[in-house]
Parts: sequence; structure tokens; C-alpha cells
Amino acid sequence: MSQPTILTPGAMPVAPGTSPDAGFFDDLNAEVGDKGFLVTSTEELFQWARTGSLWWMTFGLACCAVEMIHVNMPRYDMERFGAAPRASPRQSDVMIVAGTLCNKMAPALRRVYDQMSNPKYVISMGSCANGGGYYHYSYSVVRGCDRIVPVDIYVPGCPPTAEALLYGVMQLQRKIRRVGTIER
Amino acid sequence: MASPAPLIAPREGLAEALKKALGQDMIAHVFAVGEDSITVRRDAIAGVMVQLRDVLEYQQLMEIAGVDYPDRPERFEVVYHLLSVTKNHRLRVRVSTDEATPVPTIVPVWPVAGWLEREVFDMYGVLFSGNPDLRRILTDYGFQGHPQRKDFPLTGYIELRYSEEDKRVVYEPVRLAQDFRNFDFMSPWEGADYILPGDEKAGGTGEAPGKGAPSPMTAEAVKKADEAKASPPPTPKTTDKAAQTGAGTKANAKAAKASPDGAKATAASKAKTPATAKAEKTPAKPKAPAKPRKPKGGDA
Amino acid sequence: MTDSPQVKHHGSDMFEGYPVDTADTAGDQAVTNYTINFGPQHPAAHGVLRLVLELDGEIIERVDPHVGLLHRGTEKLIEYKTYLQALPYFDRLDYCSPLGMEHSYVLAIEKLLDLEVPARAQYLRTLFAELTRICNHMLNIGSHVMDVGAMTPNLWVFELREDCLNFFERMSGARMHHAWFRPGGVHQDVPEKLLVDIGEWCETRLPKLFGDAMSLVIDNRIFKQRNVDIATVSKEDALAWGFSGPMIRGSGIPWDIRKSQPYDAYAAMEFDIPVGTRGDCYDRFMVRVQEVYQSARIIKQCLRDMPSGPVASLDRKVVPPKRGEMKQSMESLIHHFKLYTEGFHVPAGEVYVATESPKGEFGVYLVSDGTNKPYRCKIRPTAFSHLQAMDMMAKGHMLADTTAIIGAIDVVFGECDR
Repeated sequence: MSQPTILTPGAMPVAPGTSPDAGFFDDLNAEVGDKGFLVTSTEELFQWARTGSLWWMTFGLACCAVEMIHVNMPRYDMERFGAAPRASPRQSDVMIVAGTLCNKMAPALRRVYDQMSNPKYVISMGSCANGGGYYHYSYSVVRGCDRIVPVDIYVPGCPPTAEALLYGVMQLQRKIRRVGTIER
Repeated sequence: MASPAPLIAPREGLAEALKKALGQDMIAHVFAVGEDSITVRRDAIAGVMVQLRDVLEYQQLMEIAGVDYPDRPERFEVVYHLLSVTKNHRLRVRVSTDEATPVPTIVPVWPVAGWLEREVFDMYGVLFSGNPDLRRILTDYGFQGHPQRKDFPLTGYIELRYSEEDKRVVYEPVRLAQDFRNFDFMSPWEGADYILPGDEKAGGTGEAPGKGAPSPMTAEAVKKADEAKASPPPTPKTTDKAAQTGAGTKANAKAAKASPDGAKATAASKAKTPATAKAEKTPAKPKAPAKPRKPKGGDA
Repeated sequence: MTDSPQVKHHGSDMFEGYPVDTADTAGDQAVTNYTINFGPQHPAAHGVLRLVLELDGEIIERVDPHVGLLHRGTEKLIEYKTYLQALPYFDRLDYCSPLGMEHSYVLAIEKLLDLEVPARAQYLRTLFAELTRICNHMLNIGSHVMDVGAMTPNLWVFELREDCLNFFERMSGARMHHAWFRPGGVHQDVPEKLLVDIGEWCETRLPKLFGDAMSLVIDNRIFKQRNVDIATVSKEDALAWGFSGPMIRGSGIPWDIRKSQPYDAYAAMEFDIPVGTRGDCYDRFMVRVQEVYQSARIIKQCLRDMPSGPVASLDRKVVPPKRGEMKQSMESLIHHFKLYTEGFHVPAGEVYVATESPKGEFGVYLVSDGTNKPYRCKIRPTAFSHLQAMDMMAKGHMLADTTAIIGAIDVVFGECDR
């Protein structure tokens, strides 16, 4: 019997542009050809499912939203990682807080977060969401969105490039795999 | 004009036309930095705007800006920026007011003024009489104060946080981890209005701060100052009782309790520390003999 | 709702024997205006717009836009920063066209200082301001098209936008927030190859990809049905509501600050002002499409005519010296230190400088009291006036038209709320 990790292709770091690992597919084929089924643990299966379709809530607030759009567009194409934008909080797994969170907007952000179904994750994108950034001392800015919602990944930058956000999403996938519980 | 800023040709005969159209309502007309600006009477602003729009062909109101000058008796200026697309010219119109006196609205002249006046009201608290919808516009729902006033602090008064107990976002007074660093670039040679660091030591000289370093004292003055400073204490400092150590009531109570190994500890400390032995030999210094050195933790 | 023959027919069938008020059927009385809340989190709101819509069925009776959800206190913060430290706030105002915002600000400072700017700097600014315009219109055109239901053109024009961002990265090192226009010129010169590449891009990739994308929508039946005759604004209304940019040109007024009050190198440029005929959403869209081609024309002229020379004023009391120079000369070192700590002092006075940003007239009203910090810096946003006219434009249209109207306004909240 092979290792149960066989169903987590994302665990193997593959450099972009390289062809899929031939050995991996040979193993899979052999397994299926031999027994006609695959064996894995439920935990592995859950994590595979969870990391493979991180639908994210578009919470574009300010400048970072533009980079957040760019990461979805053909050049960076985040859907390769199973991360697709959703407009409704009830269907999404991760919220990307992209931009300055202002006092007037904070209750709305929390409400959207509360509407998301568990397990839910938050990526804080850009200096303003991380800690106020350039607007830290303003009278109308929340000094970091972690005052309002719990944050899993902080992506630094003003704004972070699309690549940086992509890396942040990959870090979140790693984090989900590492924590490895069914409950959040 | 050397700068590459947008070219606006001066309008021929503007001064006369303004005088003719506005008459007594115009208080001043200034041409500075290539821009025309007029000051008008506050009560007449609506009529002035109709004149400017219909007679002088300033068809568009681009902007209403508030400015705060706290030193003036009428501290706020409301500045209207007009644009003529036919004459290709811009004109600035200003009125002044204070916190209580309303400015007549110009919404009937230009509907765009509605939000622009709301913004000035929100930011400065300038009232506009006749504006149909004078609500706050940019600041938070239920915001207190007018943030653009010069006496409003940059960081405001309140901040937000999600409270797990209340399950909602709560407002709290501002607590900053690090204060805003506001550097002062005023050179001391240009007359800073504060005491320079180090100058407070020379406080006795009575010199106004910022007037250069104080002149050095003479040798005699130094000697006198030293004598004045070096007056001996009236009574020698003793710690006869536990209460005099200053360790606090709790420690005193504990020290007053006769611990079984207290004497041993005293003896041990006496034997071990040469400093204590020295103190015993010199009777001139009234050192408290009864006080045992209390080691930390209570037991020796 | 007036009683239609259908309702009457129904009434006679269903309410046989009942006392029916024929003038006002029972069904009609039950329908009251209801209010829906659009936003502040909505994918078609282009940010954090909240609209309180009063509807009669699906017909919009009244729109009350709530803005300020991205009010960051920029104007207050600027009063606490030196002139140079305040510059990056302008990038973050309209984050779709950062250089357009910087442009007004640096011109306002230069006007107060009466500072001469070398010709190469003027041409560089003009060139990259136009590239910013293309970049901005790519975002707006793409999202406008997507708001009314088409997906593919958006993907294609974003490829062009990605090209623009790459050019910007090569120009300043940053994809979005450049802080590249400085009082007195630009921060640093660009590599020669970048200019060559931009020229080539304007000849090949831009017209091809953009033309392809637009060929999918501009004659598309559905796109026209969603946009033609939606939110028609007359010339008089456009003037009264303080419209500018593509909004006023869409209404048929050929007003363009680049043409009528030229700044930087625009006086030497040859370009046309596209205007609309009907003043509806489709016209505004088409004005933007045409402006992209005009911008490409200006870029080519800039590349053709750009002189060599310094890229910033040599006035060392305003513009810091180059780093190499600083290592050699004591005086340069002092200038460098003074300008990056204390900054320069601007003579007392006030100016209102407006430039043609991609969205319209973006103005900066700068009041200086002679110190190194602005006494007051009022920012005249474009979208603020346009959004205010939302009620006037949307009245009587269907609920689904709001997305088209918002898309055609080209609203960005960083700038609208400041």
C-alpha cells in the first residue's frame, strides 16, 4: 500500500512552467489499475478538498483591489490554484481584505465575515489592512483589519504585487494543510 | 509664468465687468499667481452666483472648499471655484463665516452645490441655510466633531474594535501604540517658540529661550552656587525601624515578625559581608544594628 | 402604476361578486415603494459604494448614494506632511490612474514656486500621463463591459493593462503607486529601451488587442440594449451638475483641459477630442474607447519629439541632487539632507490647478502659508460630482441599469471619498 499522501498533489512544490510529475501519475495509475480504488485518510481528503477550492470573497476596498483583480486575470490566473472569486460571502471560504478599512466600513466588514460559513479564513492584503499603513494616524481609519476580524495571512506591500498575493494564497494553503484539523 | 501649469489667459476687462455686475456685493478683487479671486458679501452669495453664471458666463461650479483660519474673527472661508467653458477662464469666489452664522445655499443656482456644501458642513461645521439635505457625507455614521478644523486632532477621538463579548464592533477612545511624530523644522536661529533641549538648565538666568547660550558664570558665582547646593542634611539618614526602609507595609509586617532563623541570618550576613563589619567598627555612623538584611524570597 | 387593461381583465375574472374598486385594483394597492440597499459590498459597485434605492417594482424612484465608506482623511493627513511626503497620497486617491492625480499636485506646487521644468521632464510626464489614461480606461472599459454581462473583453483588455503596469514598473519600480512625478520634474530618467518598447506596443499590441476586444462589444446588440439611451444627460444638465472629462464630452461639449488650458507638453501635441451625440452611457463608453486611440497618438508624438536633457529642475532649493553627485560634493549632501528632512518652503499664496485626469477634471486647491507643509490642500475629485447626479440620471430607469450607469461614471472611491 502506498503512502496516503498520494492525493495531495499540492504538497509537492512544483515550479511553475514545469510539466506535471510523471512519477506521480504513474503511481496513481498503478494504484487504480492494481486495486481499482485509492486509499487515503479522511483528514488528507478534507485538506485536499479544502486547499484545492479556496473560493474567495471579493472584499475590494481600495488600491489593493486593483491588484486583486489582476491576480485573477489571464496573466496570473489564480484559478489555477482553485481560488475563484465569489461575490457572495455565503459561498466563499476565504476573505481577502484588500485595502484601507475605514471606520464607516468596519461594521460591514464584520457582517460579511459573520455571514461566511465555516471553515473560513482571512487574508489581509496590503499595509493599510495589516496595520493602517500610510493612513495609520488618520481619524477615520481602522488601524489594521485584525481589530475587526481574525487574520490568517498578512500580505505586506503598498500595494502587494499580484505575485505577492498569489504567494499569500499559497501560504494559506500550506497553513491549512499544516494545521490539519477538521474543525477550524 | 515659468511653470508648466495649465495655461489660463487673463480675461480682458474682467475687473470692470465684475464691478458692473456685482456692484456693492464685491468686497475685493485680487489677481495673484495668475488667478482671479474675488471676495463677496456672505448674504449676497446666491445673487452673486446668478450674476456670475448668467452675465459673466461662468457656467460651471467645480468645487467648494472650506479653509479654517482659527485666528480670524470669522474663522472659516468658503471658497467657490467657477469655470467658464465658453470664455475658458476660472474664477475663485470666497466668503467668510464663523461657526454659528449660516451661508446662504447656492443649490438653486447649481444643483451640484448640494453635496459640495454637505462636505464643507461635514468637514468644518459651516452651516448652509436653505440646503435641502444638509447631512454629514464623508465621515462615519454618528461621527462627532468636524475633522478638518485646525483644532481637531489628526487621530481623532475614537477608534473601533470588534468586541467578542458584545459580538459587535465597539467604539473606544483612541489609544496609540506610538504617537504621531510631528517634527519641528523651525530653526532656533529663526526664533523657536519653545525651550530648546538643554536650555532648561539655564532657567535661573531669566533669559528668554532661543536667544543663544547663557553667558558662563564667574568663578565666584560658581563657588557660591556650589555652597548653596552642598548644604548638609539636617539629620543623618537612619533606618532604625523596619517602617523606615520604605519597603511598604506588607514587607514591614513580615519583617516585624520574629522569624525563627532571623538571628541566624543576621549573624551569617554579619560574618559574611565585610561592609557590615566595617560599619560596626565605625560608630560615628549610626547604622541600625537590629535590622537584618532581608533576602529576597523571605527565607535565608 | 396605472391600471392596465390586463389587470382589469383579471379583476373581472377573479373578483366576481366582490366589491372591486375598478379605478385602483386591489393588487395595485398592495404594491408600495420599497427600498433596497445596494452595497457597500457589491461586485458591481466598483468599490465601496452604498446606494439606497427606492423602487417602484423595478423602476428606480430615488437614489441616495452614501459615500465616505473609504474616507481616509487624506486632506487632514496632507496638512501634517511636507510637500514631498504628501505626494504619495495622490497615488492612492485614484488608484486606477495614479499619475493623473500626481500631475495636478506637482503642477500646483510648481505654480506657487514659479518653477521652470526642463522640456524632457515635461514630455516624460505627458507621455506617462497618457499611458496612465490608457491604463485607466482599460480598467473602466473592461469592468463596464463586465457589469452589463460580457466577460471576454475584460480578460483581453486586462492583458493590455498588465502591459501598462509592466511599463510603469520599468519606469519607477512600482506597478501602481509610483510617486514618480516630483515638483520640478520627474524622479528619475527612464531607460531608452522602455521608450522603444512603448512605441512598439502602441503600434502593434495595443491596436490589435484593443481593437479585437472592442469589436466584440461596440456593435453588439445586447451591449447596445444595455447602454443606448440609458441615463441621457443634456448639455445643460452636464454643465449644471459639474460634469467633466468623458462625462461632459459624452454629452456633446468638447471640453478638454489638455486642449483649452494646456499644461506640460500638451500645447505641442496634436490630438482630437471625441464627443458624444446623445449623452447616454453608450456615448460615454465610446468617448473612452476613442480616447485610448488619441492617447496612443499623443504617446507617439511624445516619443518622436522628446528632447534629451535633465529630467528635473536644477534648482537645488527644490529638487534634490542625484545620488552620485551627493557622494562627491558637500553642498549637494547638505541640499539632499535638507530636502529630505525639512523639505522645501513654498511661498505663501493659493492656487487651484486642475488637469484632465482620465476621469475628468481633477483639481488641487493648495493654500500655502510659506512653511514646508501645506496649510490646506483641497482635492477636487471627479467622481464626487458625477455620483451626485446619480439620482438625476437613474430616475425612471430599471434597477439593472444602475450597474451600467455606475460603470459609465467611472467612479473610484479612493478619489471620491478621499
